[in-house]
Amino acid sequence: MALKKLTILPTGTEILLPTGSPLTEVEYETPQRLIPFGCRSGSCGACVVQVLEGFDSLGEPDDDELDFLEDLGRTGGNHRLACQCRLRGDAIVRVADDI
Amino acid sequence: MPNRVHNVGYGDRTPFLNAAASAKLRAEIDEQLDLQVAEWYANVPEAAHLEGRNVDSAYYKRHLIETAWRIRLLRVAESKALAEIAKRSPEAAQVWANYEQEEMLHDELFIADLEKVGVSREQFLDTEPYLSTKLLTGYFSYLLDHEGPLGVVAYSYLVEYVNVKLEPKKLEALKGSVGESNIGGQINHSHTDINDDHPGEVWAAVRHLLRGDDDIAAFKRYLREHQSILAQYFEELYQDTIVKAEKQSV
Repeated sequence: MALKKLTILPTGTEILLPTGSPLTEVEYETPQRLIPFGCRSGSCGACVVQVLEGFDSLGEPDDDELDFLEDLGRTGGNHRLACQCRLRGDAIVRVADDI
Repeated sequence: MPNRVHNVGYGDRTPFLNAAASAKLRAEIDEQLDLQVAEWYANVPEAAHLEGRNVDSAYYKRHLIETAWRIRLLRVAESKALAEIAKRSPEAAQVWANYEQEEMLHDELFIADLEKVGVSREQFLDTEPYLSTKLLTGYFSYLLDHEGPLGVVAYSYLVEYVNVKLEPKKLEALKGSVGESNIGGQINHSHTDINDDHPGEVWAAVRHLLRGDDDIAAFKRYLREHQSILAQYFEELYQDTIVKAEKQSV
Protein backbone atom coordinates (compact mmCIF):
# COMPACT_ATOMS: atom_id res chain seq x y z
CA MET A 1 0.00 0.00 0.00
CA ALA A 2 1.46 3.33 -1.09
CA LEU A 3 1.47 6.06 1.53
CA LYS A 4 1.67 9.77 0.77
CA LYS A 5 2.86 12.47 3.14
CA LEU A 6 0.85 15.51 4.08
CA THR A 7 2.69 18.21 6.04
CA ILE A 8 0.44 20.63 7.90
CA LEU A 9 1.77 24.04 8.94
CA PRO A 10 2.20 25.88 11.21
CA THR A 11 2.78 22.86 13.47
CA GLY A 12 4.76 21.03 10.80
CA THR A 13 2.93 17.81 11.65
CA GLU A 14 3.48 15.08 9.07
CA ILE A 15 0.66 12.63 8.38
CA LEU A 16 0.99 9.54 6.20
CA LEU A 17 -2.16 8.43 4.39
CA PRO A 18 -2.92 5.79 1.75
CA THR A 19 -2.98 7.20 -1.79
CA GLY A 20 -6.34 8.73 -2.60
CA SER A 21 -7.41 9.30 1.01
CA PRO A 22 -9.68 12.28 1.68
CA LEU A 23 -7.96 14.93 3.78
CA THR A 24 -10.74 14.59 6.36
CA GLU A 25 -8.82 11.46 7.44
CA VAL A 26 -6.34 13.78 9.12
CA GLU A 27 -8.81 14.18 11.96
CA TYR A 28 -8.62 10.50 12.84
CA GLU A 29 -4.83 10.30 12.77
CA THR A 30 -4.19 12.67 15.65
CA PRO A 31 -6.16 14.12 18.57
CA GLN A 32 -4.94 17.59 17.57
CA ARG A 33 -7.40 19.55 15.45
CA LEU A 34 -4.87 20.34 12.74
CA ILE A 35 -7.42 21.37 10.10
CA PRO A 36 -10.68 22.91 11.37
CA PHE A 37 -13.21 20.98 9.28
CA GLY A 38 -16.80 22.22 9.35
CA CYS A 39 -19.49 21.00 6.96
CA ARG A 40 -17.15 18.62 5.08
CA SER A 41 -19.17 19.30 1.96
CA GLY A 42 -17.36 22.31 0.53
CA SER A 43 -19.85 24.96 1.48
CA CYS A 44 -18.85 26.51 4.82
CA GLY A 45 -15.22 27.49 4.23
CA ALA A 46 -13.91 26.47 7.66
CA CYS A 47 -11.14 24.27 6.24
CA VAL A 48 -9.45 26.59 3.75
CA VAL A 49 -5.76 25.78 3.33
CA GLN A 50 -2.98 27.37 1.34
CA VAL A 51 -1.11 24.76 -0.66
CA LEU A 52 2.60 25.47 -0.44
CA GLU A 53 3.78 22.38 -2.30
CA GLY A 54 2.04 19.61 -4.25
CA PHE A 55 -1.03 21.49 -5.51
CA ASP A 56 -1.60 18.84 -8.18
CA SER A 57 -1.34 16.09 -5.56
CA LEU A 58 -4.70 17.15 -4.07
CA GLY A 59 -6.85 16.59 -7.17
CA GLU A 60 -8.59 19.09 -9.39
CA PRO A 61 -10.91 21.66 -7.69
CA ASP A 62 -14.36 21.77 -9.29
CA ASP A 63 -16.12 24.96 -10.38
CA ASP A 64 -18.19 25.22 -7.18
CA GLU A 65 -15.07 25.09 -5.03
CA LEU A 66 -13.29 27.70 -7.18
CA ASP A 67 -16.33 30.01 -7.07
CA PHE A 68 -16.56 29.72 -3.29
CA LEU A 69 -12.83 30.32 -2.80
CA GLU A 70 -13.23 33.49 -4.85
CA ASP A 71 -16.18 34.53 -2.65
CA LEU A 72 -13.91 34.03 0.36
CA GLY A 73 -11.27 36.28 -1.19
CA ARG A 74 -8.83 33.41 -1.70
CA THR A 75 -7.99 34.36 -5.26
CA GLY A 76 -4.27 33.62 -5.34
CA GLY A 77 -4.81 30.28 -7.06
CA ASN A 78 -3.10 28.20 -4.40
CA HIS A 79 -5.92 27.68 -1.92
CA ARG A 80 -8.16 24.67 -1.50
CA LEU A 81 -11.02 23.55 0.70
CA ALA A 82 -9.32 20.67 2.49
CA CYS A 83 -12.56 18.69 2.74
CA GLN A 84 -12.71 18.53 -1.06
CA CYS A 85 -9.15 17.20 -1.49
CA ARG A 86 -7.77 13.68 -1.84
CA LEU A 87 -4.10 13.01 -1.23
CA ARG A 88 -2.59 11.52 -4.38
CA GLY A 89 1.00 12.67 -3.77
CA ASP A 90 3.04 14.45 -1.10
CA ALA A 91 1.87 17.95 -0.23
CA ILE A 92 2.49 20.78 2.22
CA VAL A 93 -0.44 22.95 3.35
CA ARG A 94 -0.93 25.79 5.79
CA VAL A 95 -4.28 26.30 7.53
CA ALA A 96 -6.02 29.55 6.68
CA ASP A 97 -5.87 31.09 10.15
CA ASP A 98 -2.15 31.36 9.75
CA ILE A 99 -1.97 32.48 6.12
CA MET B 1 -50.38 -14.46 -2.30
CA PRO B 2 -50.64 -10.68 -2.46
CA ASN B 3 -47.57 -8.50 -2.13
CA ARG B 4 -47.53 -7.26 1.46
CA VAL B 5 -44.81 -4.64 0.97
CA HIS B 6 -45.93 -1.20 2.13
CA ASN B 7 -44.43 2.17 2.95
CA VAL B 8 -41.62 2.22 0.43
CA GLY B 9 -42.82 5.01 -1.81
CA TYR B 10 -44.33 2.67 -4.42
CA GLY B 11 -47.59 4.60 -4.71
CA ASP B 12 -48.42 7.64 -6.81
CA ARG B 13 -45.58 10.04 -6.20
CA THR B 14 -46.93 12.92 -8.25
CA PRO B 15 -46.65 15.97 -5.95
CA PHE B 16 -49.94 17.33 -4.60
CA LEU B 17 -48.69 20.78 -5.64
CA ASN B 18 -47.40 21.40 -9.13
CA ALA B 19 -44.45 23.76 -9.56
CA ALA B 20 -46.52 26.94 -9.73
CA ALA B 21 -48.75 25.95 -6.81
CA SER B 22 -45.67 25.06 -4.77
CA ALA B 23 -44.10 28.48 -5.41
CA LYS B 24 -47.39 30.19 -4.51
CA LEU B 25 -47.70 28.30 -1.23
CA ARG B 26 -44.05 28.97 -0.37
CA ALA B 27 -44.64 32.71 -0.79
CA GLU B 28 -47.66 32.43 1.51
CA ILE B 29 -45.63 30.50 4.08
CA ASP B 30 -42.83 33.08 3.90
CA GLU B 31 -45.38 35.82 4.62
CA GLN B 32 -46.49 33.90 7.69
CA LEU B 33 -42.86 33.61 8.79
CA ASP B 34 -42.27 37.33 8.31
CA LEU B 35 -45.22 37.96 10.66
CA GLN B 36 -43.83 35.44 13.12
CA VAL B 37 -40.46 37.23 13.04
CA ALA B 38 -42.19 40.53 13.82
CA GLU B 39 -44.03 38.87 16.73
CA TRP B 40 -40.72 37.44 17.89
CA TYR B 41 -39.03 40.82 18.10
CA ALA B 42 -42.10 42.30 19.81
CA ASN B 43 -42.54 39.63 22.47
CA VAL B 44 -39.36 37.71 23.21
CA PRO B 45 -37.15 39.37 25.85
CA GLU B 46 -33.80 40.54 24.46
CA ALA B 47 -34.74 39.11 21.05
CA ALA B 48 -32.32 41.47 19.35
CA HIS B 49 -29.63 41.21 22.01
CA LEU B 50 -27.00 39.71 19.70
CA GLU B 51 -27.69 42.41 17.11
CA GLY B 52 -26.81 45.17 19.56
CA ARG B 53 -23.53 46.94 20.27
CA ASN B 54 -23.07 45.55 23.75
CA VAL B 55 -23.35 41.82 24.09
CA ASP B 56 -23.61 40.20 27.50
CA SER B 57 -20.75 37.70 27.66
CA ALA B 58 -22.63 35.06 29.66
CA TYR B 59 -25.64 35.30 27.35
CA TYR B 60 -23.46 34.93 24.26
CA LYS B 61 -21.49 31.95 25.57
CA ARG B 62 -24.57 30.11 26.85
CA HIS B 63 -26.32 30.72 23.55
CA LEU B 64 -23.45 29.11 21.63
CA ILE B 65 -23.40 26.19 24.07
CA GLU B 66 -27.12 25.64 23.64
CA THR B 67 -26.90 25.98 19.85
CA ALA B 68 -24.25 23.23 19.72
CA TRP B 69 -26.38 21.04 22.01
CA ARG B 70 -29.47 21.66 19.91
CA ILE B 71 -27.62 20.55 16.78
CA ARG B 72 -26.31 17.46 18.56
CA LEU B 73 -29.71 16.46 19.96
CA LEU B 74 -31.83 17.23 16.91
CA ARG B 75 -29.58 15.49 14.40
CA VAL B 76 -30.53 12.20 16.05
CA ALA B 77 -34.26 12.86 15.61
CA GLU B 78 -33.68 14.28 12.12
CA SER B 79 -31.89 11.07 11.15
CA LYS B 80 -34.88 9.05 12.36
CA ALA B 81 -37.02 11.38 10.24
CA LEU B 82 -35.11 10.29 7.15
CA ALA B 83 -36.44 6.73 7.48
CA GLU B 84 -40.02 8.02 7.86
CA ILE B 85 -39.61 10.36 4.90
CA ALA B 86 -38.22 7.56 2.71
CA LYS B 87 -41.37 5.51 3.39
CA ARG B 88 -43.49 8.35 2.05
CA SER B 89 -41.37 10.02 -0.60
CA PRO B 90 -37.97 8.84 -1.85
CA GLU B 91 -37.65 12.18 -3.63
CA ALA B 92 -38.02 14.09 -0.39
CA ALA B 93 -35.69 11.62 1.35
CA GLN B 94 -32.95 12.28 -1.20
CA VAL B 95 -33.18 16.03 -0.59
CA TRP B 96 -33.37 15.59 3.18
CA ALA B 97 -30.33 13.26 3.24
CA ASN B 98 -28.29 15.83 1.32
CA TYR B 99 -29.42 18.60 3.67
CA GLU B 100 -28.50 16.53 6.73
CA GLN B 101 -25.14 15.66 5.18
CA GLU B 102 -24.36 19.37 4.95
CA GLU B 103 -25.60 20.19 8.47
CA MET B 104 -24.66 17.08 10.45
CA LEU B 105 -21.36 18.22 11.95
CA HIS B 106 -22.00 21.92 12.40
CA ASP B 107 -21.92 21.64 16.18
CA GLU B 108 -18.13 21.78 15.81
CA LEU B 109 -18.33 25.25 14.25
CA PHE B 110 -20.05 26.61 17.36
CA ILE B 111 -17.73 24.72 19.70
CA ALA B 112 -14.77 26.30 17.86
CA ASP B 113 -16.24 29.76 18.48
CA LEU B 114 -16.76 28.88 22.15
CA GLU B 115 -13.07 28.05 22.47
CA LYS B 116 -12.26 31.48 20.98
CA VAL B 117 -14.04 33.14 23.91
CA GLY B 118 -12.54 30.93 26.58
CA VAL B 119 -15.10 28.12 26.92
CA SER B 120 -13.34 24.77 26.61
CA ARG B 121 -14.80 21.63 25.07
CA GLU B 122 -14.87 20.13 28.57
CA GLN B 123 -16.92 23.06 29.90
CA PHE B 124 -19.32 22.66 26.99
CA LEU B 125 -19.72 18.94 27.67
CA ASP B 126 -20.30 19.60 31.38
CA THR B 127 -23.19 21.99 30.65
CA GLU B 128 -26.59 20.35 30.60
CA PRO B 129 -28.99 21.55 27.90
CA TYR B 130 -31.93 23.73 28.97
CA LEU B 131 -35.34 22.19 29.55
CA SER B 132 -36.70 23.97 26.46
CA THR B 133 -34.09 22.24 24.30
CA LYS B 134 -34.98 18.87 25.77
CA LEU B 135 -38.66 19.60 25.15
CA LEU B 136 -37.95 20.50 21.54
CA THR B 137 -36.14 17.19 21.13
CA GLY B 138 -39.07 15.43 22.76
CA TYR B 139 -41.52 17.21 20.47
CA PHE B 140 -39.61 15.85 17.48
CA SER B 141 -39.99 12.34 18.88
CA TYR B 142 -43.71 12.88 19.43
CA LEU B 143 -44.12 14.13 15.85
CA LEU B 144 -42.27 11.16 14.36
CA ASP B 145 -44.19 8.66 16.48
CA HIS B 146 -47.67 10.13 16.05
CA GLU B 147 -47.95 12.73 13.28
CA GLY B 148 -45.20 11.92 10.77
CA PRO B 149 -42.03 13.64 9.56
CA LEU B 150 -43.61 16.81 8.13
CA GLY B 151 -43.39 18.59 11.49
CA VAL B 152 -39.68 17.82 11.80
CA VAL B 153 -39.02 19.16 8.32
CA ALA B 154 -41.12 22.23 9.16
CA TYR B 155 -38.68 23.10 11.96
CA SER B 156 -35.81 23.19 9.48
CA TYR B 157 -37.77 25.39 7.08
CA LEU B 158 -38.44 27.84 9.92
CA VAL B 159 -34.83 28.06 11.10
CA GLU B 160 -33.30 28.12 7.61
CA TYR B 161 -35.66 30.86 6.42
CA VAL B 162 -34.96 32.95 9.49
CA ASN B 163 -31.21 32.27 9.40
CA VAL B 164 -30.77 33.33 5.80
CA LYS B 165 -32.88 36.43 6.39
CA LEU B 166 -31.50 37.59 9.75
CA GLU B 167 -28.14 35.94 10.37
CA PRO B 168 -26.06 38.29 8.15
CA LYS B 169 -27.29 41.30 10.18
CA LYS B 170 -26.50 39.54 13.45
CA LEU B 171 -23.04 38.49 12.28
CA GLU B 172 -22.21 42.04 11.20
CA ALA B 173 -23.12 43.20 14.71
CA LEU B 174 -21.11 40.42 16.34
CA LYS B 175 -18.04 41.41 14.31
CA GLY B 176 -18.12 44.66 16.25
CA SER B 177 -19.15 43.36 19.67
CA VAL B 178 -17.35 40.00 19.90
CA GLY B 179 -14.74 40.42 17.16
CA GLU B 180 -14.62 38.96 13.67
CA SER B 181 -11.77 36.61 14.55
CA ASN B 182 -13.92 35.07 17.30
CA ILE B 183 -16.98 34.24 15.22
CA GLY B 184 -15.43 32.34 12.31
CA GLY B 185 -17.47 29.22 13.00
CA GLN B 186 -20.75 31.13 12.89
CA ILE B 187 -19.69 32.84 9.67
CA ASN B 188 -18.82 29.44 8.16
CA HIS B 189 -22.21 28.09 9.25
CA SER B 190 -23.96 30.99 7.58
CA HIS B 191 -21.97 30.36 4.38
CA THR B 192 -23.45 26.87 4.17
CA ASP B 193 -27.02 28.04 4.73
CA ILE B 194 -26.73 30.68 2.03
CA ASN B 195 -24.43 28.96 -0.51
CA ASP B 196 -26.39 25.72 -0.47
CA ASP B 197 -29.75 27.52 -0.43
CA HIS B 198 -30.93 25.61 2.60
CA PRO B 199 -34.40 27.18 2.66
CA GLY B 200 -34.84 26.06 -0.96
CA GLU B 201 -33.53 22.57 -0.21
CA VAL B 202 -35.86 22.10 2.74
CA TRP B 203 -38.80 23.45 0.78
CA ALA B 204 -38.12 20.86 -1.94
CA ALA B 205 -38.54 18.17 0.72
CA VAL B 206 -41.66 19.86 2.14
CA ARG B 207 -43.30 19.97 -1.28
CA HIS B 208 -43.01 16.20 -1.70
CA LEU B 209 -44.40 15.56 1.79
CA LEU B 210 -47.52 17.70 1.36
CA ARG B 211 -50.31 15.39 0.26
CA GLY B 212 -53.38 17.53 0.79
CA ASP B 213 -54.90 20.63 2.39
CA ASP B 214 -54.78 19.03 5.85
CA ASP B 215 -51.01 18.71 5.51
CA ILE B 216 -50.73 22.38 4.52
CA ALA B 217 -52.75 23.41 7.58
CA ALA B 218 -50.60 21.19 9.78
CA PHE B 219 -47.41 22.63 8.28
CA LYS B 220 -48.51 26.16 9.18
CA ARG B 221 -49.34 25.00 12.71
CA TYR B 222 -45.95 23.30 13.09
CA LEU B 223 -44.19 26.56 12.18
CA ARG B 224 -46.06 28.37 14.97
CA GLU B 225 -45.50 25.59 17.52
CA HIS B 226 -41.77 25.40 16.85
CA GLN B 227 -41.50 29.15 17.29
CA SER B 228 -43.30 28.86 20.64
CA ILE B 229 -40.76 26.34 21.90
CA LEU B 230 -37.83 28.43 20.62
CA ALA B 231 -39.31 31.45 22.41
CA GLN B 232 -39.30 29.40 25.63
CA TYR B 233 -35.60 28.79 25.05
CA PHE B 234 -34.82 32.48 24.64
CA GLU B 235 -36.82 33.27 27.79
CA GLU B 236 -34.85 30.59 29.67
CA LEU B 237 -31.56 31.96 28.32
CA TYR B 238 -32.51 35.52 29.31
CA GLN B 239 -33.51 34.49 32.83
CA ASP B 240 -30.42 32.35 33.34
CA THR B 241 -27.92 35.00 32.25
CA ILE B 242 -29.02 38.63 32.14
CA VAL B 243 -31.74 38.50 34.81
CA LYS B 244 -29.63 36.32 37.10
CA ALA B 245 -26.73 38.80 36.85
CA GLU B 246 -29.07 41.72 37.57
CA LYS B 247 -30.40 39.99 40.69
CA GLN B 248 -26.90 39.20 41.91
CA SER B 249 -25.77 42.80 41.46
CA VAL B 250 -28.61 44.17 43.61
